[in-house]
Amino acid sequence: MKEKNFEIISIAQDTGGVKDAGPWITGEAYKGKETAAKMPPTYTALIDSEHLVTKLYNLVNVPTGIWINEKGKLVRPPEVAFIDDKFKEFTHLDTSQYLSGLRDWIANGDKSEYVVPEKQLKARMTPATPEHQLAAAEFSMAEYLVHIGSNDDAIPHFKQAQKLHPENWNYKRQAYLLADSKKNYGTTFQDEVKALNGKPYYPPPDLPPKKKD
Amino acid sequence: MKNLLTRTLVVCLGLVMTGLLTAPFVRATTPDSTKVQATIIFDRTATSVNGVTDNSKDLWVTLEDLKKSTRFELKPSGVCRDELCFPLPKANRESFVRKQDDGSWFNLSAFARLVHQPIAYDEKHSIWLFGDRPAVQNGFLATLTAPDFTLPDVNGKMHSLSDFKGKKVLIVTWASW
Repeated sequence: MKEKNFEIISIAQDTGGVKDAGPWITGEAYKGKETAAKMPPTYTALIDSEHLVTKLYNLVNVPTGIWINEKGKLVRPPEVAFIDDKFKEFTHLDTSQYLSGLRDWIANGDKSEYVVPEKQLKARMTPATPEHQLAAAEFSMAEYLVHIGSNDDAIPHFKQAQKLHPENWNYKRQAYLLADSKKNYGTTFQDEVKALNGKPYYPPPDLPPKKKD
Repeated sequence: MKNLLTRTLVVCLGLVMTGLLTAPFVRATTPDSTKVQATIIFDRTATSVNGVTDNSKDLWVTLEDLKKSTRFELKPSGVCRDELCFPLPKANRESFVRKQDDGSWFNLSAFARLVHQPIAYDEKHSIWLFGDRPAVQNGFLATLTAPDFTLPDVNGKMHSLSDFKGKKVLIVTWASW
């Protein structure tokens, strides 16, 4: 989707940084596998080994999409954003709706019906509570300990972050990846998804109904 | 006589009680409890300092280390950095600043609590990590201006969101996990 005046920035939320995220950007991870994605990508692909964007925008999962207009203003709340159907079996999301919204915004800018008016947008954004902020600090501490090679000592801080902000999947999944999740956290990602009891793991983005072409 | 005795007793008891109540508090705010080689993480930057910690695990630092690790400085108007100044409460100034024979010490943990910065602490590694103030964290919700950031690409080249001003931008987060 290379359009005039429009840029995609992908940002990897990976404590392991280039080591973990790099192969998926250079294409190495796809070697010998069938892949629809062109590698390396034509968009800007950044590595965020401190989950800076997660904390700045108070994000709770990946993939999350954020729309920013020419003036640097948000025009939609951060929301689940799949730009292809690679994970459809798991997500059950119709990505075409999100993509047609995106195309509409690229074409019509602030006049697009997918742009959420300021007042509504403010109401739909989630402020970080003091608990969320402390969770972010604990998570940062855990990541710092991982970066200095003390994975085991990071575990209590990852746990604290998860306890303070249980809705944040980034805090869980990153920690599980760096440990034996069953042994160290007494749970797994699959267990946690099951515990949602039918509540969607990916809440579908709240978009206006798709226009008939 | 009996009355005087009772009164003396009450006064004595009162003194003992006051002593009991204030003693731990005074000890907790005395910055000479334990010397510690500490790491301060402030604004995502780690700095090594020679600090002192007390019973409540507050971290006291010298004014030089305060500036080195946080860029904040103690001024007559308060604790300041650039245009930003936080006045210290006059009533309990001594829980923030103490003079020892070897100079002034500043309670960075108490200051963080004063300005509502979250604190994460790791005893084993002696790390005090200070998160963002709520006004910094949630400031963008009032203006809807997307918070700027600077991150590297796979080759280490740095990119900022602000580099893309004048264009529509879609940020998509993902992860290898």
